[in-house]
Amino acid sequence: MHDPQGLPDTAAAPDTPGAQSVLAAQGLVLQHRGSRVVDQVSLALPARGAIALIGPNGAGKSSLLSMLAGLQTPSQGQVLWHGAPLQRLSFAERARCIGYMPQRFSPYWDVTLAELLQMRLGPSVDMDDVLQQHGLQAFASRRWNSLSGGEQSRCLLTTVLATDPPVLLADEPGAALDVRHRLELVDALAQRGRDRLVLVVMHDLDLAFAHFDRVIAMDRGRVVQDRAAQDLLTDPALDAVFQVEFDRIDAPPQVLLRARRKKEDGCAD
Amino acid sequence: MTSRTTWWAALLVLALCLLGAACAGHQWASVPELWRALSGDDSLHSRLLLQWRLPRVAAAACVGALLGLSGAIFQGVFRNPLAEPYLLGASGGAALGATVALLVPLGLPQGLVLPVLAFAGAWGSTLLVLAVARAAGALDAAGLLLAGVALAAMLGALRSFLMLALSDETVSLQVVMSWVLGGIQTPSWNGLLVLAGITLGCVVATRPLAHGLDLLGLGDTVAKGFGLNPARFIPLAVLVGSLVVAAAVAYGGLVAFVGLAAPHIARWMVGPMHRVVLPASALVGAIVVTVADALARSVLPPAEVPLGLITAIAGGPFFIILLARRLRAS
Repeated sequence: MHDPQGLPDTAAAPDTPGAQSVLAAQGLVLQHRGSRVVDQVSLALPARGAIALIGPNGAGKSSLLSMLAGLQTPSQGQVLWHGAPLQRLSFAERARCIGYMPQRFSPYWDVTLAELLQMRLGPSVDMDDVLQQHGLQAFASRRWNSLSGGEQSRCLLTTVLATDPPVLLADEPGAALDVRHRLELVDALAQRGRDRLVLVVMHDLDLAFAHFDRVIAMDRGRVVQDRAAQDLLTDPALDAVFQVEFDRIDAPPQVLLRARRKKEDGCAD
Repeated sequence: MTSRTTWWAALLVLALCLLGAACAGHQWASVPELWRALSGDDSLHSRLLLQWRLPRVAAAACVGALLGLSGAIFQGVFRNPLAEPYLLGASGGAALGATVALLVPLGLPQGLVLPVLAFAGAWGSTLLVLAVARAAGALDAAGLLLAGVALAAMLGALRSFLMLALSDETVSLQVVMSWVLGGIQTPSWNGLLVLAGITLGCVVATRPLAHGLDLLGLGDTVAKGFGLNPARFIPLAVLVGSLVVAAAVAYGGLVAFVGLAAPHIARWMVGPMHRVVLPASALVGAIVVTVADALARSVLPPAEVPLGLITAIAGGPFFIILLARRLRAS
């Protein structure tokens, strides 16, 4: 059962030498109804860096992210925060260390952004300052259900980052955004990765490779690639992960990916 | 600014309702008559007002506040705008406990046994509903309500059985019966002080739950991400909520739908943050039950209509509208 490649992944991670791993996974397994959603994942994540987590649907990206955030207890293995088990920290302490942005969020009560921020920061903080800082005054008193999907994502991310946590784990934060806002968001996340740790589940591969330093690819619960972005981009292994054939189109300053169905699939219909 | 105006307006409405309720009854009293009663007049009419009507009105307001507060906690814990102690069987559990206390000779002072058993009943049945709904994997509106309705029916049947089997004297049966249908017992002035103390204590004691209830309303994932441990918080909130339900049931019997309606009106008034929703629900509950109890005393003189009937007739349609809106939304 034990994956011999599980541990070498850690060693192969392109950390800058000497960078202390702030968050690490040790042999994480998540069982769900008899199948392994996450299967023997070991990772070491440095204190700073913008890292993208990619992979096909059902690869276990979201489950891995929520275990790293301490929101879900792994069936086996453990998550380490500065070398000590994350489980030992209280939920309040975890919330200070790790900002987590879920894929979907629909509050049960129709809150406003100001109220949401107050829940995150406590009643003593001056909301007007925070809102002004992020240019979100216009949204302050609008009820959640009156915001568009993109506005909701922006407001939620602002709330998650309001405490300025050293680590951000975000599950497809750009999914509901239009082109401009998605670009702005990914830019901001990459910026944040210069002095903090940012790990983001991304479906848009071009954005992932253009803006992130390191890309981790998952498939069927395992981490199958974990390398510098530019390195993985040109490797045929990427095609295997997604089971397509990528054309790599040179469009300086970056290389764009165009996916084609694999040949044997092409004949099917 | 505006929220402060809302609070003052609500307090003014409560004051007017209390005054109106004090006047109402099968013999109407004017404001000067009330004043005479309060300033120590010794006529029979004044004495009746002072010993029966005024404590009754104040007790109704307190029971209403407890019902509103418990409803807000239940809706917050279950994250369900249709949750209510009465519908989810918590009130039924408290009533069963109280029935046992009233009818079974336990050899202990009733003043002690009744609140304890009422609390045990409310707590046990709430935990049971929570467990059943969780086992069925449904903390959503339908699953939770079905579990609650099933439990409430069982508890009601058990209580009826106990009443038939245990009461050999019709007197105590009548006491239990009038109380099951919902009705404020008129307390002595000392008893009223205790009730007022309990009510105020509950409003204060639930305040620390507000932040957790807020976070719970964001869903488990985000709540955890923002630092709440739901596995620890929910049992605590259920415990405190059950205490409030037990107090409400011990003094007011089974009163339906106030716990459902009050938090909705409160959220409409002051927004969804529980720091304000909890006290606002108590305030709205107090207004609603004060009015309902005044109606109960005065619509069919000299008879008294059970309070629970009034709130059910008024609150039932409210529930149906909410349910329809929710089903349409999902």
